Amino acid sequence: MNSTKHFSVVIIGAGPAGIGAAIALYKRGVKSVALVERSDKIGGIPSLYKKKKGGVRTFIRWSRGGIPFFGEDYAHWLGEQLSKTDVQLWLQSQVIEIEAKENRITLVNPDEGRVTLTAAAIIMACGSREETASERGWLTGARPMRVFFTKQLLQLIDGNGLLPMRNPVIIGSDLIAYAAAAKLKVAGAADAIIVDNRRRPKCSYFERLYFRRWSQPNFRGVAAKSVEVVGSKTASGIRLSREDELIPCDGIVLCGELIPNSELALQGNFKVELPSRKPVVGRDSQLSEPGWFAAGNILGGFHGAEWCYFNGRRVARAVINHLSQSS
Amino acid sequence: MVDWPDGNLDAAVRFDEDPYDVIIVGAGVVGCALAYKLSQYRLRVLLLDKNYDVGEATSKGNSAIVHTGFDAAPGTLESQLVTQASRQWPELAEKLKIPFEKCGAMVLAITDEQNKQLDTIHAKAVSNGVDDVRLLSAAQTRELEPSVPQDVLGGLLIPRESIADPFTTSIAYAEVALANGIDILFGAEIVEIEDADKTIKKLVTARNDRIATRIIVNVAGLGSRRLADLYGGDEFDINPRRGQFLIFDKYSRSAIKRILLPIPTAQTKGVLVIPTIFGNLIAGPTAEDFSLDDEEVTDTTLEMLQSLLSGASRLFPGLVDQPVIGTFSGVRCNCSQGSYWIRSNDGHQGIVTVTGIRSTGFTSSPTLAEYLIKELHEKCGLNLEKNPNAVDSRPESNWPGWWQRPFANGELVKQNPDLGKIICYCENISRGEIIQHLDSPLKPRTLDAIKRRTRAQMGRCQGFDCQIKVAEIISEHCGIPLSKITKRGPESEIVPAPTAAGNEGKG
Repeated sequence: MNSTKHFSVVIIGAGPAGIGAAIALYKRGVKSVALVERSDKIGGIPSLYKKKKGGVRTFIRWSRGGIPFFGEDYAHWLGEQLSKTDVQLWLQSQVIEIEAKENRITLVNPDEGRVTLTAAAIIMACGSREETASERGWLTGARPMRVFFTKQLLQLIDGNGLLPMRNPVIIGSDLIAYAAAAKLKVAGAADAIIVDNRRRPKCSYFERLYFRRWSQPNFRGVAAKSVEVVGSKTASGIRLSREDELIPCDGIVLCGELIPNSELALQGNFKVELPSRKPVVGRDSQLSEPGWFAAGNILGGFHGAEWCYFNGRRVARAVINHLSQSS
Repeated sequence: MVDWPDGNLDAAVRFDEDPYDVIIVGAGVVGCALAYKLSQYRLRVLLLDKNYDVGEATSKGNSAIVHTGFDAAPGTLESQLVTQASRQWPELAEKLKIPFEKCGAMVLAITDEQNKQLDTIHAKAVSNGVDDVRLLSAAQTRELEPSVPQDVLGGLLIPRESIADPFTTSIAYAEVALANGIDILFGAEIVEIEDADKTIKKLVTARNDRIATRIIVNVAGLGSRRLADLYGGDEFDINPRRGQFLIFDKYSRSAIKRILLPIPTAQTKGVLVIPTIFGNLIAGPTAEDFSLDDEEVTDTTLEMLQSLLSGASRLFPGLVDQPVIGTFSGVRCNCSQGSYWIRSNDGHQGIVTVTGIRSTGFTSSPTLAEYLIKELHEKCGLNLEKNPNAVDSRPESNWPGWWQRPFANGELVKQNPDLGKIICYCENISRGEIIQHLDSPLKPRTLDAIKRRTRAQMGRCQGFDCQIKVAEIISEHCGIPLSKITKRGPESEIVPAPTAAGNEGKG
């Protein structure tokens, strides 16, 4: 039998949004908060952007222009704030079952096996991931090695000190794409060719100007409806099918185009828009069952770490309202 | 013993003068099934493949349907082997611990003309010995499968049509064969055959190994033509036929219970909607012919994927709103001279060519292997003496139930904390499971081999979260540098080899 533990609030995901919510709950006097994280460290995506001399600082407050940071520094700051609270942190804890009506989740972790948590309110702050080739809808062809997501690029370059490619093609043209091009250049690769199925890059002029300090990628807007990955064992190029032009490369990065990690919401039969995977939320980011909330990039769209942090705090206030009404 | 070049394995296969009784060239599902069945006898057998895992080519990209053979051309070898195999599968799956489900299938008729054809299909099924099929009224069809179109006119129920795990099947055959003492060699491309006309023949690999054998069985699938050129057998042509598929997320699985089939036309069997044993739905296949040297034969294309969606939505209209998490394409080994094209003593005594095994080869693998052993015995003089010590089943994995995941059992996780370290978030696969598979008999070392065994990287995020972590675990557990981890063997390394200049990876 699983052991069951009771909390006033459980937060799923220890990225900027989840930590923002946890800190706000603590500051407003909510006792007994559990923060559940599936990986072995807190900080979410920003923690992957490592601090290095001469390395790429990126925008934490990119939704508003803001100050460039190393993601790792921001994650470190989040950790410091969190350590001043009495929030109970559950690392390496993957939620495997979710019961919406009972306000109950079951997780598995290496220390305790299976544990069931119940709470008066549960916040999903599960973040987002990048769209796969088939989700993008215009990228087909072969499936060789070295077609990476930005997350994998960071794990290889910053986490393992490896250069994943020398002549990169980047698919997608938002801020993440331009940051990836800079990251690759600093690591030793050539300037990337950035390909997107739009006429102008998604990334703003000023943001692009900022990244020119590190790299001068070449943007190729393709009118083609279909772009094909070429390469039998490793990626060797992409073919713009309508123009029938081959852009050679030795690696491809699928950047940006975030898609919400709403799997738990789907698993718990909450209302979720398909195929966009955005959870349907009401006022104050309430999910379709009472006592359940969503915060941060799981809500959809493209937001920076600090937006997520403040959104987490905002949702925490709504949670406190909910707690006071239900008690 | 199992070996591959630079495989970091403890045991290396050594090729001395002592010839093998049989060398099977091609470790697809048919080659593996043959190795499994031959391992029941006192024989020296070598199963080899140019790839670095079993089932790495045609056998990995199919619909995973275990056919009853209801729609096969009656009287053919294919129909005979498929219908026999269909009845053996439940027991085979039990023995080999292959996830298997008798989900059933339903042929749907939407137009009047299609409705008339149901009787013909029914009669054909009965003449193939599949006598448990049943014609359904429109109301019955909708009652059994509420997600089919409202204007459906009727259906044909095939209760025994089933689905299974296509990857585990080749792996399970090979693991049992290995336990019974056959040898397996990966990364072995055959470039020459010496003394093809003599009793003892020698296969020469690209790495210049010379391996002696009395009998060669060519089950090299798409590579069977090139191999046959080396011994000059009977003429045949391979026209690879590509089949593309869409994979839908698991949330759509509950909408249908059975495999849904359209009424076939003269040209094609059409687009099917198929539940997978892993809990997804897939839609496909296409049928596109290629020439043998075309490198794009395993690509996916936008037009075809779109046509699959429109085809599949004629059987299950709700599918258009469901998220597609991935696509894949497989290549059928299509022989112009006919399906199940088998020649014993092809060109020379002791050489057997087996080709044109199309999508039904997955189903027929156990009976085809038995058929081939009979041929080897009767026509090639292979002496069959049962090995009383041979096993014919795979042991249970160390967590209970072979398709339950360890996270379902908290006590198990407490005993082995690695089973609680979930690294694939989509499919809930733990570090412990990856390590157990790395230590499994075939010693998988590639990202794809681990993917096929554990499903890590196969979920909706397609490796976004776990691919590098899987590579790190392989690297750490097997003592291979991370930069040398491959997708499917040499030349598919995760990162390019460093240049002499160095100065890399400082970012």
